Amino acid sequence: MTIDTIQFEGVLPRVFRDSRGDTSVSSSGVWLSSLTFRRPEVYMVAAESGAGKSSLCSFIYGNRDDYEGRILFNGTDIRGFSIDRWCAIRRESLALLPQEMRIFPELTAMDNVLLKNRLTDRFTAAEIRAMFDRLDISAKTDVAAGCLSVGQQQRVAIIRSLCQPFSFILLDEPVSHLDERNNRAAAMLITEVAASQQASIIATSVGNPLSLDNFISLSL
Amino acid sequence: MTANSRNIVWRLLRRNISPGQIIGYALANFIGLAIVITAVQFYRDVTAGWNTDDAMISSDYLVISKRVEGMGSLFGAVSTGFSRADIDSIQSQPWCRRVGSFTSSRYNVQASVEMQGRGMSTSMFFESIPDEFFDVSPDGWTFDPSAPGEIPIILSKDYLALYNFGFAATRGLPQVSESMIKMVPLAVSISGNGRQKEMPARIVGFSSRLNTIAVPQSFMDWANDLFASTPADDPSRLIVEVNSPGDPAITSFIERHDWETAGDKLNSGRASYFLTLVTSVVIAVGAVISVLAFFILMLSIYLLIQKNRRKIHDLMLLGYTPAAVAVCYYRLVAAVNICVFAGAAGVMLIARRVWSQSLDAMGASVSSPWMALFVGAAIIILVTTFNILTIRRLTRRAFA
Repeated sequence: MTIDTIQFEGVLPRVFRDSRGDTSVSSSGVWLSSLTFRRPEVYMVAAESGAGKSSLCSFIYGNRDDYEGRILFNGTDIRGFSIDRWCAIRRESLALLPQEMRIFPELTAMDNVLLKNRLTDRFTAAEIRAMFDRLDISAKTDVAAGCLSVGQQQRVAIIRSLCQPFSFILLDEPVSHLDERNNRAAAMLITEVAASQQASIIATSVGNPLSLDNFISLSL
Repeated sequence: MTANSRNIVWRLLRRNISPGQIIGYALANFIGLAIVITAVQFYRDVTAGWNTDDAMISSDYLVISKRVEGMGSLFGAVSTGFSRADIDSIQSQPWCRRVGSFTSSRYNVQASVEMQGRGMSTSMFFESIPDEFFDVSPDGWTFDPSAPGEIPIILSKDYLALYNFGFAATRGLPQVSESMIKMVPLAVSISGNGRQKEMPARIVGFSSRLNTIAVPQSFMDWANDLFASTPADDPSRLIVEVNSPGDPAITSFIERHDWETAGDKLNSGRASYFLTLVTSVVIAVGAVISVLAFFILMLSIYLLIQKNRRKIHDLMLLGYTPAAVAVCYYRLVAAVNICVFAGAAGVMLIARRVWSQSLDAMGASVSSPWMALFVGAAIIILVTTFNILTIRRLTRRAFA
């Protein structure tokens, strides 16, 4: 399934219910507003810590539904999608890089990526190795992910999130632990993979944004 | 999904499996299941041995007669027949399925046989019971009154023993086997009511439960019609089909009326009743152990999935379906349960070999183990199904 639009209609995390009138909510470009993410635009959502970036990604990704309002994929309300439908969407239409990465520390860096890639058969082993190479972690493929630095884990998680076909990729603070050079390398890789399938990128950041060009800026 | 990625998932999910819990479950369920199927097999083997004793009449029948006592009957003062009221009172007992009457011959029977050139002739009698009390009819157990031919006879095994070990031995006559005697043609002369008829007869079977010389009911009715000069008496013996021959209520009922049962039927019935009871207790104990083991496994699975909840959730974020995750656990319980079943079946087959030697020595054949194996497989399939349903429910819950 290809997702062309993700619409927000008056969406507000339930935890913010009582702060409806606060400036933090009323000045938000996302909460309580009508907003449409369109493929293949690139969006950068900047926010302070605690403004609900991770909630935003979780709501779109379907693993949380503690919000008011409606979120629609191609005009269909996503509330009430079955487990199996979500599983299919996560394999074919939506990619996510969670802020906490959710890397399995007991598996090697390569196995973490293969865990996803074998589900989707998106890339060949050589292509995956090339991506490790581009993000400068090719020496770490067979090291248990738990033994990698946070920055290295972040790069493994980026590669893993790319290993599927997608219409939208949600990147929750993808480069918070990367230096400028790796940030640029990651941004180039992500942009390339997204562009190859006319996919949209939605990235969040608190301070260290992904080095993207030509993006639509939103603030939470 | 390729085998290798399942492999990665399995490497991930097996981490929190507690070998102690799984082995504990496997041992407990193995013991329980082994007890259950061994008991089932033992029961079947032993009862199979009993039932081959007499295929014609099952062990669920009792033959009841009134006690002949003192001099009263000599003078005709006390009837040794069962009245309609007696039969009705037996019929109304909860342990009674149905009652049939023995019909006696009310005519003279003279039987003769030629053996090695020596003729023997004796007065005798016939009795009959309704055909529905026979489990299996021996070959030739038919008589057509419209075309009277050979009379089929079922003889008590005791009579053959009397002849072989009592009569033949002292008179220098040859001893005969069952199969031999079935081939000997008999000549029967029936007379009464001013008529007489010569008829061929043949022994078609032996019974240790019917202590009489039995002929088909159709022959008896035909012959009584033609040759009887006296009206029918009350039956002197009854055959009763009971629910369980060892039921103590039967013994006390029969003792209260001061009646008798033929042979040691009540005792062997009591033994079978006792065997059933003991087997039931043993099976129940095995079943309880199995049920407890089942709960150990359920608890273990529950803990395992609870501990792996986070990982399962993360797999969900990668797009894994609950089924793809659950299949790892399905394989685990299926493998453990198959091992348990194989072990229990092995124990049963070995134990069976031990007792089959003593049963063979008693002349009884053992029954096939398929029934017990089927019971064991059914239990394991049931347990595995429950396990799988639980895993399915828990993994889906971890996804939600």
